[in-house]
This record gives sequence, C-alpha cells and structure tokens, in this order.
Amino acid sequence: MNMKASGKLQEILSKGEFAVTAECGPPRGANAEVVRKKGELLKGYVDAVNVTDNQTAIVRMSSIAACTHLLQMGLEPVMQMVVRDRNRIALQSDIMGAYSLGITNILCLSGDHQSFGSQPDALNVFDIDSMNLIRTVQTMREQGKDMSGFELNEPPAMFIGAAANPFADPFEYRVIRLAKKIDAGADFIQTQCIYNIDRFKEWMKMAREEGLTEKVHILGGVTPLKSAGMAKFMNNKVAGMDVPESLIKRIAGVPKEKAVKEGLKICQETIAQLRETKGVHGIHIMAIEWEEIVGEIVEGAGLTPRP
Amino acid sequence: MIVGEQKPISEIKEIIAPYKKILILGCGTCVKTCFAGGEDEVAVLASALRLACKKDGKEIEIEEFTVERQCEDEFIREGAPAISRNEGVLSLACGAGVQALARRFVKIPILPGVNTTFIGVLEKQGVFTEECSGCGDCMLAIFGGICPFTRCAKKLLNGPCGGSQNGKCEVNPETDCAWQLIIERLKILGQMDNLRAYVPPKNWQTGLSGGPRKLVREDHII
Amino acid sequence: MTENFKPKITLFHCINAFGDADELSLTDMNNCEIQTVKMACSSMVKDVFLLKAFEAGSDGVVVLVCPEGQCRYVEGNIRAKKRVAWVRNLLDEIGLDGRRLALGNMAAGDKTAAAQIINDVLKNLAELGPNPAV
Repeated sequence: MNMKASGKLQEILSKGEFAVTAECGPPRGANAEVVRKKGELLKGYVDAVNVTDNQTAIVRMSSIAACTHLLQMGLEPVMQMVVRDRNRIALQSDIMGAYSLGITNILCLSGDHQSFGSQPDALNVFDIDSMNLIRTVQTMREQGKDMSGFELNEPPAMFIGAAANPFADPFEYRVIRLAKKIDAGADFIQTQCIYNIDRFKEWMKMAREEGLTEKVHILGGVTPLKSAGMAKFMNNKVAGMDVPESLIKRIAGVPKEKAVKEGLKICQETIAQLRETKGVHGIHIMAIEWEEIVGEIVEGAGLTPRP
Repeated sequence: MIVGEQKPISEIKEIIAPYKKILILGCGTCVKTCFAGGEDEVAVLASALRLACKKDGKEIEIEEFTVERQCEDEFIREGAPAISRNEGVLSLACGAGVQALARRFVKIPILPGVNTTFIGVLEKQGVFTEECSGCGDCMLAIFGGICPFTRCAKKLLNGPCGGSQNGKCEVNPETDCAWQLIIERLKILGQMDNLRAYVPPKNWQTGLSGGPRKLVREDHII
Repeated sequence: MTENFKPKITLFHCINAFGDADELSLTDMNNCEIQTVKMACSSMVKDVFLLKAFEAGSDGVVVLVCPEGQCRYVEGNIRAKKRVAWVRNLLDEIGLDGRRLALGNMAAGDKTAAAQIINDVLKNLAELGPNPAV
C-alpha cells in the first residue's frame, strides 16, 4: 500500500484504526444546498463520505461536483466513479480534474445498467471495466503516466477503493475476484451491506487464508433495516443481497412502531461483530436518504469522537 | 448467421403507403433461417398486406420474389426484372441486403421490412441467441469460448459485476450471466487461472467505433 | 351486418380426423357455405394457405385436427395449433379479427365435436360480419 496519497481515510487505515465511512447521494438537480445539508448531518461522525455517481443510472448532479461541495465544507469525499457512462478519455480526465480540486479518494465501480435508470434509452459506454479503472488510477499514481504512457505534469495520487460482494459471485470465484482487484491496485474495499454475518465471516476467512487482508483494508458495509417489508424486498428484489430468514422473522416479530428501533439494534450487533472480525478495518454505512441516522449509529457503536 | 425480425405490419403499412405497385423481395439465407424474410415469409406478408389494403380501401399490387442472397450481385441480378417493374421494393433482407439493393437500383426506393438485430446461432428450433458483436479482435481463447463483449451487458473483461444473481444477469433474469458461464466453462477446462489474469482494456479500433469497416483481399482481386 | 349473411367457411381437415366432409353431414348447417381442403396431416396448414383462404373470400376459416397426443405424425396438430395462433395474431394486426380463424381438436369421426367447433365460429361470424377485405 502506497504512502503517496493523502487524506484522513488513508491515514486512519494506515495507523490501524477502525475507520467509518458513509454515503451521500447527490440531488436530481443543480441545488448544492441539498449536498451541504447532507454533509452537515455526517460531519464529525465519519472519516470520509462516498459520493455516488449517477447511482442506479438515475441522472443526478455529478459526483465530482458534489464531492467538491463537501470538500468546501471540510468533509473528505470518496468520489465514486462508474465506467458505464464515460470512456477512458473522459475517466482519466475526470480523475485528474478531481485530484486538482482536492479529491483524494476514488471508488472504482462498474455501475448499474442504464436499463434500471431514468433514461434507459441511453447508449452505455463500458469502454473499460472497473478492474481496468483500478489499474489505471494505480498507474497514474505510481508511474505518473496515463493510459497512453504519457507522463503527467502531476500524477493524481488517489487512494483507490473497489467494491466487493461476499454474497454474490460463485463460491470458487469470490476470493479470486478480491485478489484480482488488490493486484490491480485496490487499497481499500467496501463491501455490500452485511446481514448474514456468518457468511461474511466465511468470506473473510478465505480472504485471510490467501493473505489478502494483509494487502488491503476491508470496510464492512452496513445498512439499517427499517421494516420487515424492507428486509424482504432487499432479499428478494435486490441483486446480490442476503438477508437471513431469522433476521426477517426477528424484525417482523416486533410491532410496526418498534421495527426501526429493532433494525438499528440489528445494525449495532452487526457492527460489533465486524469489529471483532480479524481483517475488517472499518465500516461503511449506507443509509441512503436517511443520512440523519448515521450519527446515531456511530455514537451508538461507541465510535465517536472520530480521530 | 444474421438474425432479424420482420417489422410490425402497422409499420410496414406506413412504409409502403406512398406506393401502388410494390415488390416484396425475400432473401433465402439468414433471414429465411430466422423466419423473417424467406420465400414463405414473403408469401405470408404479401397476403396479409393485400387483405389489409383491401380492407382499408387502398389500391395496391404486390409482386413476390425471392433471391438466394441479397448481399451478392450474382443473386441480386436475378431480381432485376421484378425490381424494375415496380414503384418500390420492400426488401426482407438484413440491413446489408437492403443497402446492397439500394446501391444497385438507384432510381427505385428500396424499403426495409425487417429489423436486423444480431449475429447469432440457432439455439434450438425457433430460438436464436446473440453470440458475436464483430469486435474485430476475438479473445474467445481466454474466455473458454464464451464472449463477454457480446453476452455480458456491461462488456466486462475481468469477471462479473455485483449484479450477477443466481447465474442470471441483473438486466434480464432470463439471461444467463456470461461470466457465470465463463467461470463454469473454465472450471471444466481446468483453466481457472485465466480468471486470475488481468485482462487489459480492449482496443476498440478494430470495432465499429472507427466507422464502417472494410475488408480487402488483394489476393482475390484480379 | 346484412340479414341474409351466409358466411363462407373454408374447412381445413386432416384425413385422419375424418375422410370426407360428407361424413359429417355438414349439410345440416345450411346457414353457411363450406368449402373443404383435405390434408394428410393438419400440420400441412401453412400460414399462407390460411391467409389465401381469406383472400379468396372466406369469412371464416376452421382447422380441424386430431386430439393432442393422438396425432399420427406425433406433433402435426401442435404445429397446426402454433401456426393458427400466429395467423390469428396477424389477422388482429391487420384488422380482420383473429376470431375468424379457429382450430378445433376432434376425435376421429366425431361429427358432434366437428359441428360444435363450426358452430362456435359461426357465432363469432354473426357478430363480426362478412370479411371486410373482399
């Protein structure tokens, strides 16, 4: 893991401290105030904030712009970048632009297919894949060169992140995929939200056995459940999600007014388990459109104040 | 083979609306195999259009003819007399055939009756699947004979995305995740190591990105 | 819909369902005119023949086939069923109405079943009227 990039997130992880990140979705419009409001809710509770890139292929304010608004109010953003909408020329250009604005963290993703989004008629790009993007950022940082081998006047020294889903890929392939991302240049991994802690621990075991936890920082994803309906929906309708029957029953078993509280309890239990799991170096809280709950979760987990 | 689907009748009616005398020209190769534009399909379409026009009180004379292939002069020539007798030609060939006709019969409107879709195979009688996107730089050797450019909705080279669920693609639950197929195939072939190897960004210069392509074989030109 | 509308029906039948139309005593039904087309197997109804029957002036077309599982050529009646469905759709698309075309399964020689199938089509035709593309 390199030392050239800078930023609080990298610093905390390098020191071996438990990191906390959260997510912020930009608005469907040009109103920066929306971004600032979300930032206010997260300030002091997180080490860095992921800013999504036209998530679910719905057209929103750009990630690079929203990241900049957060920077200006003293938060450290993690710019998410998908390969769905931009070709290699645009991607490299935006990486350089982002770094020049002070953005030092990037999360490299494929991106949800455009057929799910608000403009399914659009042509997608996928000129390069997320693995290529990881390698590209690494090359820019380590060698100071772009994809054509051109020496950049200042290399964007980004801290590189990738996503991992311990609950998706075929069994034999999970660890191969993680190893490949690390090889390509990933410094940190944020996982899909975890409900099946046993299965997650199995994946962590495999990762440890391959020595991968020595090479990358893994942050476990958590999303608080609000209701049994939400639990069922996520399990049945969201790709790559595993919500154990026992959890669904548990949250269904309490009166509706108490569901949110129960969901938060489950969330705290998950976080506690993650802190005990060897190789897990932090948590990534995804409370989309519920940013106000992040503070409560971080406090409840005893993770405040942030360093 | 090239696969296509006949346009809906309502659309075809609109396309031929300006003409009173048309030729429906079929093609006996790819479109015949996928039941879009062979001799039989020409006959059915002609009959259906006659009935439709009669019902609508529109006068129309429809001639029917089919050539072996509409992408080669040798066969197109056979259709020349029929073409010259008519005001317009509704070609049921693929887009290449329609354009080949348009090139040679400059004065007669050549209209498409088929939507050309993909290069594919006959999976079983009546079922056609897309297999190849003509990228110009075939890498099937490292992918166990399954093309991720064509069969992965995101053209991923280095493994599946997070949306691969139960071996199916997130875009269409009836579509197999190409990467799931590749992984299974490589397992059978004992080539799982291919999955560890980093595949660099694709060179799209050999593909459609650079405009229409041309192949010239000097050794076959006199 | 004219009062003395006497529908013209083209009847395609497989010779395994019955040998000759006379066997069915279809003359009982003098509220329609029936023309028959004999085939060795019902699967011989190509789409174009069904359409040509309408082009020739039929108001309705009936295809009589053997019961499923009893086709002498195994899937002939299934093929016929699929083709009839396809052409019905086509008829809907061009505005002739797919109900003018019907397929009916009948056990060999079952005159009652045959008459029932034809009657059902006649009911539709009473509502639909003559072929508008004549």
